[in-house]
Amino acid sequence: MFPEGVVRTAGPATEWIGTAARLALAVVWAWAGLAKIADPAEAAQAVRAYEILPESLVKPVGHGLPFLELALALLLVTGLGVRLVAGVSAVLLLAFVGGIASAWARGISIDCGCFGGGGAVDASQTEYLQEILRDTGFLLLAGWLLWRPRTKFSVDGLLAS
Amino acid sequence: MSEKNREGKRTARERMLAERADEEARGRRNKKLIVGGVALAVIAAAVVTGVVVQDQRSTPETPSAAPAGTIGDKNLIVPVGSDNAPSVLTVYEDPRCPACGIFEREFSPTISQLEDAGKISTNYHIVSFIDRAVPGKGSKYAANALGCAQDAGRFRDYHDVLYRNQPDETNDAFGNKAVLINLARQVDGLVTPAFEDCVNDLKFADWVSAVQQDFDKSGFKSTPTVLLNGQPIYPKYNNEEITPANLVKWVDAANQGKPLGTPGSHGQSPAPTSTASESNNPSPSAG
Repeated sequence: MFPEGVVRTAGPATEWIGTAARLALAVVWAWAGLAKIADPAEAAQAVRAYEILPESLVKPVGHGLPFLELALALLLVTGLGVRLVAGVSAVLLLAFVGGIASAWARGISIDCGCFGGGGAVDASQTEYLQEILRDTGFLLLAGWLLWRPRTKFSVDGLLAS
Repeated sequence: MSEKNREGKRTARERMLAERADEEARGRRNKKLIVGGVALAVIAAAVVTGVVVQDQRSTPETPSAAPAGTIGDKNLIVPVGSDNAPSVLTVYEDPRCPACGIFEREFSPTISQLEDAGKISTNYHIVSFIDRAVPGKGSKYAANALGCAQDAGRFRDYHDVLYRNQPDETNDAFGNKAVLINLARQVDGLVTPAFEDCVNDLKFADWVSAVQQDFDKSGFKSTPTVLLNGQPIYPKYNNEEITPANLVKWVDAANQGKPLGTPGSHGQSPAPTSTASESNNPSPSAG
């Protein structure tokens, strides 16, 4: 009866997994965003410490990034535009992994500042591998949602029904 | 669509179904575009809001008020010793930083002697970044209190008292203003109602933040950072470990053939020099 391709039903189990992935990624972004808001100078320094961006972009990125993360969290919680948000999340996470890997490769000693903090640390206190593995885990969540964006309890689902 | 109506009902029905399917597909596409547009709009609005709000919440890089006698183009530096001494020792330190405590307890008598002999003036940058990494407010509160002591002309003595009584890095004792005021009682004449208000009201909070932002941009990555006439000498200089004896030796070598300065009382610079206040600081001696 249905014209082909109208609803790609992946099965309820898949949609539940998607909901879990959505909410987990939302928690990650909300936590990351909130931790960077209190002290704008600290957020800017976390960006500056990577020694990648020119000084003129340090503050805009340091100040805007936490709100971008919060917006992604909000959209993931509500389930609006899941595939697009998962795509933006994946791009952002890839950028983070790239930044951390670059700092590691250049021998800079920093905290990634992923969840607040950041800036230079003693060489013995760097945790580049853990940080990259953690972000890779988050990337898997985003990848799942890119692949299966239809999830339970989502505005996308409501609009489609 | 423009084909002739050839075969009556069956074709008409097929066409109707096809049109309906097209319409539904269009509707779905439109819905997707709208949802995507809304999501992007939310993201863009959040980023713009963030940049604007956080810029407004940022404390200025040039503080509106700085402790009396501070120097530099933004009055971020506390000078100790003679302002015409032949050598300048520059020290970046955080009140909570354990390595700074170790450095101070080992070197402050030597540094004070060099200052009092007119051999060096010391430029202190009191930074406060430990609070970012270790929970607490002790770096900021103590830096503010040091600003208050500078304002009262008792920076060096109070600075030495704080480092002699420095808590462990994870213990935020300096985050308690009463502790800071109590320690100030060890410095003759420092504790006055004005000093207590200055400590309690975080009078120089913006100055403290500006000093830290200046350090953020300096490229120096840890404390203590110690420079002699601009050359890093901590922990080593010319492959020699810094020790009190070596510090004296390096200073004397740098000062060879130069006249000594005239030290002020309490190891303080007598007054801000004429170069101390520049146009971008409206009230260098406010407070």
